[in-house]
Amino acid sequence: MSSTMLRRLIVISLIVLWEVLPRIGVIPELFLPSLSSTLLAGWNQAGEYGHALVVTLYEVAIGMVIACGGGILAGAVVGSLPRPRLLIMPMVSSLYAVPLVILYPVFTVWLGIGSESKIAFAGMYGFLPTMLATSAGIQTIDPQLLLAARSMGATLSQRVTRVVIPAAIPTVLSGLRVGGALVIVGVVVSEMLISSAGIGYLISRYRTILDSQHVFAGVLLVLAMAIAFNAMIKFVERRAAVWQTGTRAGPDMIAREIPAAATA
Amino acid sequence: MQPLANITPIKPAARAGAVQLGGVGLVYKTSGQDVVAVSDVSIEVKPGRFAVLVGPSGCGKSSLLMMMAGLRHQTSGAISINGAPIEVPDPDRVGVVFQEPSLFPWLTAEENVEFPLTLRGVSKQERRAKAEEALQLVGLDGFGKRHPHELSGGMKQRVSIARGLVQDPPVLLMDEPFAALDEQTRMTMGDELLRIWAATGKTIVFVTHSLTEAVYLADEVIVMSARPGRIVDRLEVALPRPRTFEMLSGDAFGSLRDRIWRHIRKSA
Repeated sequence: MSSTMLRRLIVISLIVLWEVLPRIGVIPELFLPSLSSTLLAGWNQAGEYGHALVVTLYEVAIGMVIACGGGILAGAVVGSLPRPRLLIMPMVSSLYAVPLVILYPVFTVWLGIGSESKIAFAGMYGFLPTMLATSAGIQTIDPQLLLAARSMGATLSQRVTRVVIPAAIPTVLSGLRVGGALVIVGVVVSEMLISSAGIGYLISRYRTILDSQHVFAGVLLVLAMAIAFNAMIKFVERRAAVWQTGTRAGPDMIAREIPAAATA
Repeated sequence: MQPLANITPIKPAARAGAVQLGGVGLVYKTSGQDVVAVSDVSIEVKPGRFAVLVGPSGCGKSSLLMMMAGLRHQTSGAISINGAPIEVPDPDRVGVVFQEPSLFPWLTAEENVEFPLTLRGVSKQERRAKAEEALQLVGLDGFGKRHPHELSGGMKQRVSIARGLVQDPPVLLMDEPFAALDEQTRMTMGDELLRIWAATGKTIVFVTHSLTEAVYLADEVIVMSARPGRIVDRLEVALPRPRTFEMLSGDAFGSLRDRIWRHIRKSA
């Protein structure tokens, strides 16, 4: 059996178990409501969930722009200049290990409990890995490629746009994958902590009244968001990083790219 | 010495240029100390000739080549290519091939060859045509759509040579281009390079530390010593062309190689 088939089988059996186990009473519905009752609960409150989703998506989108845009920009500067790198990198690396969520209450003091504090917090949360990856991506560019470009008469700006950027794309994308996921985590967690809107808020509110169906409906929405984000990154990776065959592109991609594997 | 007429290039010598170095020196500082990497090197390579720079590691032969390419600045002396000094890289006059193929992994072979033309805003159609011609010259027609990781080491270096030739520069500089290849591929590539050279009539300056490769390829071999890098000998290789595998075991070949080896052993 191929690993793809096996993977699908596992997902399907998990879905079936989610439906069956609560129904036959192995797991109490309070702990895990069946999939169908969860979906039904969500459907019945579609308006409420829809509104919450819009709020959360808005916060995630702006957070991503801050994390990815800022992270790439800062990473590019830090990665290409040795002095700021020596000053900043040790700090950033140790900051990375701090659970930044402890700072969220401070953000609410500064920015209130509305969307602004979530955006700021999630943006900062996703910023660090994106910056670290971008800076690493730029530092690890083969200097030989830049020398070759120079020998062909490339100007500084041509070297940046035609060598540095394409060479850094795979590493930057792997940073975005982590950074983007952290933005989603940041938004949902901060909504659950102190908030009045969004999916995290709904999950948290329904939990306090022990309404498991509605809690899990919210969980499903977050899950869907994470899967959609992952699919998006995969799509971009496939388009932009064909050349990283074997590491980033899947095996089917290799088969398509190399009809008759390289001959000597 | 074999008269030059025997290796008459197919293309007219107009696209071959002279390489002149007069009293070139390179001094750089490491931890406050002046290190003399290259000292008072004067070389003249006539248009269409195949010159090989050989010497022990650290003799500054690669630095010398980088200076001829305009990628590095000499601290004294003058370098001129095609009659004009070279200050910055000028792909119109000088093509460079490095030890590493240095191909951009995200571009196809064809796009890699087109790269220098892309930088100068040459139209897509013209680029394609020139790249195709260059790939054909190096024996890679039909491989243009492959990415570098789908090519063998020898094929990558062929793409790199095609890229060096695509703008039809009169001078081609090669920095140990076959050093990373296995011996069989290396021999084949040597023959291929001689074929390409005969077909284009370029002036070639080739750096290597293989004595056999030096004698096999060259019209003249320039021998350098290490620390500081300076010229210790200059040999005309009078072996007839085309060079053949049988010559490698001949007396003439052996005595040339011995003479180079004696210099290198002395300075190593």
